[in-house]
Amino acid sequence: MPENKFDAKIIGEFLNLGRSLAEAPMKVSVPHEVKLGSTQFDVAYKEDKMRLLHFKPLTSKQVKTPLLISYAIVNRYHIFDIDPKKSWIKNLLEQGFDLYLIDWGTPTKIDKFLGFNEYVNGYMDNCVDFICDESNVDKVSIQGYCTGGTLATVYSSLHPERVKNLVATAPVIDGWKDTTVVSNIAKYFDVDKLVDTVGNMPPEFIYYCFSILKPFEQGVEKYLKFFNNIDNEKFVDSFLKIEKWLDETPPIPGELFRQWIKGIYQDNLLIKNKMSVGGKLVSLENLNMPIFTQVAVGDHLVSPECSMPLHYAVSSTDKTLKLYPTGHVGMIASSFSQKTVLPELGKWLKERS
Amino acid sequence: MNNYMENDSSITDYYKKTAMFWSDMIAMMSSKPTALTGVGPLRTLSSNLKKITAELTEANKEIVEFNNFLIEYYKQLADTWSSAQKEVTSKASELPQNEEGTEAYKRVWIDIFENNFTGLFDSKKFSENYNGLISKELELLKRWNAVTDVMLKSANLPTKQEIDEIYEEVHNLKNRIFKLELDKKKAEKNARK
Repeated sequence: MPENKFDAKIIGEFLNLGRSLAEAPMKVSVPHEVKLGSTQFDVAYKEDKMRLLHFKPLTSKQVKTPLLISYAIVNRYHIFDIDPKKSWIKNLLEQGFDLYLIDWGTPTKIDKFLGFNEYVNGYMDNCVDFICDESNVDKVSIQGYCTGGTLATVYSSLHPERVKNLVATAPVIDGWKDTTVVSNIAKYFDVDKLVDTVGNMPPEFIYYCFSILKPFEQGVEKYLKFFNNIDNEKFVDSFLKIEKWLDETPPIPGELFRQWIKGIYQDNLLIKNKMSVGGKLVSLENLNMPIFTQVAVGDHLVSPECSMPLHYAVSSTDKTLKLYPTGHVGMIASSFSQKTVLPELGKWLKERS
Repeated sequence: MNNYMENDSSITDYYKKTAMFWSDMIAMMSSKPTALTGVGPLRTLSSNLKKITAELTEANKEIVEFNNFLIEYYKQLADTWSSAQKEVTSKASELPQNEEGTEAYKRVWIDIFENNFTGLFDSKKFSENYNGLISKELELLKRWNAVTDVMLKSANLPTKQEIDEIYEEVHNLKNRIFKLELDKKKAEKNARK
């Protein structure tokens, strides 16, 4: 009978994993009790479920032009302030920016008719009005992240006179060039049937799209790494915060989702300058203000090929395109973003504010 | 009746017609005595029973189609798993049989499975089948909504469609108010100039 040989290291690893699994509930907080966001803010303006957050300044001297951040319509804004050491918001406040952020809130069934028009010409324009009145300025700088980058782009095209600078961080622009699996599903998706039957886009469907992005790295390896690092307080804290953030995605208003899938992924109207919002044509050629496009090379949610066409489609002569060797979340909430992305953004904005 | 038994679709039609026939007959036979006294929710429900029967019969056909998509969905996942595992096994023989080899095996396993499954999720066949699956699920949901609407009507409550009409009306009113506010703002600005 052949002798069975077991690698001592593998056995050790299995035993350690078993111990970590058993001890985890004693050592780690319940994920849903983890608190996100630490930077203080006031709710400066509120309309329906949308809130305009104004972050309290951390410096005595402030940059003249206020900065408005348009967060994405998927997940919540907390990723911008997930950890004090990786906080996008805290970093910009420390650089002296007067910072506002749009929290789109959690739409319910009554919001299913809200579309691009209400988001851009309604909520966003009212926020800009409010900030201009408060700060006594005519224009604001706008930064949009992910789908919020698309909303900021559409707003800047329709209201160029209100935008001093536009920063598009991983924006969804050219749906046909997107190489992610999300765009593959979106291409053949019967969005009319979903919206007409269900109303709003349910969060469960968004979770499904996330789960097929990197199923083994994100679904298996990530959790093994977590349990193997259960004694590393910093790692556990950061892991749980990101997990909680990922798990909290609101529904997307049905009409907005319909216009999104058809206009961006199926008919690709935005990059063709054929998208119509509130009865007006959205032309990227209207974007004549200074524009900074930030793209992450390893972005598996919005591929660089989908974001970069913005840089080439605008009429602005003052435009910058930066490619960063990181991912979609890494670009805004990591040590890398603190060391590289944010200092570059701050410098670029200050020179134009 | 023989004509009905020729193929699957005829069998479904046969059962549909039988169900419709008997629900109509029962409604007709029972309507005379109950009409004298029946004005409550059960009376409404009995008269709407035909609609529920029709929805449930149609739903049967869709459940079959939904199952076909679901079977194909799991087949695609299983086939991809199997081909990824084969690839891992063939690579495993090239890895050293020591501690580093164990680490390398884990990496190879994750990478190969990730590539294979991303390839599947990125393919047209996956997208078409997955969207077919969702589409059938939504059709079933529509049937369920229709059945629920019958129940709501019987209880003299607003249906989904009626609530949607209110939502739409609220939405349109909000937009009209927004336009009026915008015009007012513009007029105030012009007056200041």
